[in-house]
Amino acid sequence: MVGLVDGNNFFVSCERVVNPKLNGRPVAVLSNNDGCCVARSNEFKALGIKMGTPYYQLKDREFPKGDLVFCSSNYELYGDLSRRIVSILRDEALDVEQYSIDEAFIWPPKRSPDDLFAYGRRLRAKILQWVGIPCGIGFAPTKTLAKIANHIGKKRPEGVFVLPDDPAEILASIPADEVWGVGRRLPVKLRAERILSAKDLRDAPDDVIRSVGGVTLLRTAMELRGKPCLMNENGGADPDSITCSRSFGEQVTTKDALMESIANFTAQAATKLRRHGLLASGCNVYAQVVTAGMFEGGFSGWADNFHGYTVMFPQPTDATNVMLRTIREGFDALFMPGARYRKSGIMFFGLEKAGGAFQADLFVPAEKREASPLYRTIDALNAKLGRTKVFSAAEGIGKRSWKMRRAMLSPRATTNWAELLVVK
Amino acid sequence: MGKAQVAGSVVAGFPSPAEQYLEPPLDLNELLVRRPAATYFVRVKGDSMIGAGIHDKDLLVVDRSLTPADGDVVIAAVDGEFTVKTLRIFMGKGERGKGAARRFVLEPANPRFRSIEINPGHELVMFGKVTAVIHRL
Repeated sequence: MVGLVDGNNFFVSCERVVNPKLNGRPVAVLSNNDGCCVARSNEFKALGIKMGTPYYQLKDREFPKGDLVFCSSNYELYGDLSRRIVSILRDEALDVEQYSIDEAFIWPPKRSPDDLFAYGRRLRAKILQWVGIPCGIGFAPTKTLAKIANHIGKKRPEGVFVLPDDPAEILASIPADEVWGVGRRLPVKLRAERILSAKDLRDAPDDVIRSVGGVTLLRTAMELRGKPCLMNENGGADPDSITCSRSFGEQVTTKDALMESIANFTAQAATKLRRHGLLASGCNVYAQVVTAGMFEGGFSGWADNFHGYTVMFPQPTDATNVMLRTIREGFDALFMPGARYRKSGIMFFGLEKAGGAFQADLFVPAEKREASPLYRTIDALNAKLGRTKVFSAAEGIGKRSWKMRRAMLSPRATTNWAELLVVK
Repeated sequence: MGKAQVAGSVVAGFPSPAEQYLEPPLDLNELLVRRPAATYFVRVKGDSMIGAGIHDKDLLVVDRSLTPADGDVVIAAVDGEFTVKTLRIFMGKGERGKGAARRFVLEPANPRFRSIEINPGHELVMFGKVTAVIHRL
């Protein structure tokens, strides 16, 4: 069995962890440069405002039930909370495959439906308490079916759903084009073949399926029949994050080797990014360490520990060298001399289409991208004093068009000492 | 599913005879952060908890994985505002066990501040239990 765990309205839920005032209010998180709504709270959805609605169309509108709340995307926070959730999943599941910043497939240690349900509820409660994020969890024999189970689970009070052995009734209620991996261009063709529901797609003859959507669609149909065909990331549409990670053949103990592996994965993931014509705003870097649990009470056994950090690139980029420069700056803090590393990985998030809104970047002077010793000092000062207290006159005092606009940014409470939550 | 692959290369040279005796340096994280996935740092403002050794501008280590009990120092949000206080849980009269009506009070450790009674009209969000205070001299 495979499980899909995803954070409910993930970005909004993250904002609520650091700002409980947002509970119960209509909240939306905006895309890069405060462009449009990319995540909405249930209260916001209930007002009938669609995903992707531009901010400028909403900011001055009045709604009867209190004001709308908008947040700029705080990828440092989302990345960090995502990392926490994945580390909990890795503790609890046999294997984990992070699919995006707010979704992960897990291979649970339990088999029977009752056990799975109880396991799912415990997992959900743990994530809610430890991180503060409510999740939906669905279990099924394949990834495509787990997606469906997850959708159902999310709508139930328990947040968890295990697909029954005979899901025909459920599949009949789901439109074929809502099935994971069925492209947006297919519905017309599908309708012509009278494939309307997920059940129709499951039960259609192979040659019909192949003539409509080729081997990709056939694979989806196989998945609906309960035969796992998708082992790796294979969503089809543009991903909302891109990952690359591997276990090492031998444990890695030197800094150079670990950095080399991360550089490799960065280069691989960046290639993937460019293939999709996307730019990344930042990334999570992580490494899995084999550690002896040493706490105040003494030795408490061996465990795999996840260490990681979240970085934001100077601007959304697909250039490996720019990424590596940023990633390397945080790397010293990650590496622990004496530790044995088993695995490392990278995940890009905050993806946007290349070109378009970022034409202004062409005019950024080349030296702005250099991490000169001077810039490092300035960065250190800014980290202490708050953002951009110190900057060179060359950057201009007015509006910096190359810089991402995040006018309603919440504190980066888990990644920046200067922006911790304040308690009275 | 996650097949092991060799990533990068590990330089194999002469092993240092001291290597097997090398221990990683002491790390405060090991001492103060038991569960990284559940640990948050917050900054104190004000002196409502001075009697508990928590000063203005101190850094608190908060572990969300621990369910706060009566007498614990906790971070909670009352009507959306974060506060650090001692949690007091009172059982309703003559009631015991599950389902018994419980009353929550957030107690300061400074006589100049008042206790916060959590009434049905208040919204209380428990953030986590404070496990350490980091106070700079």
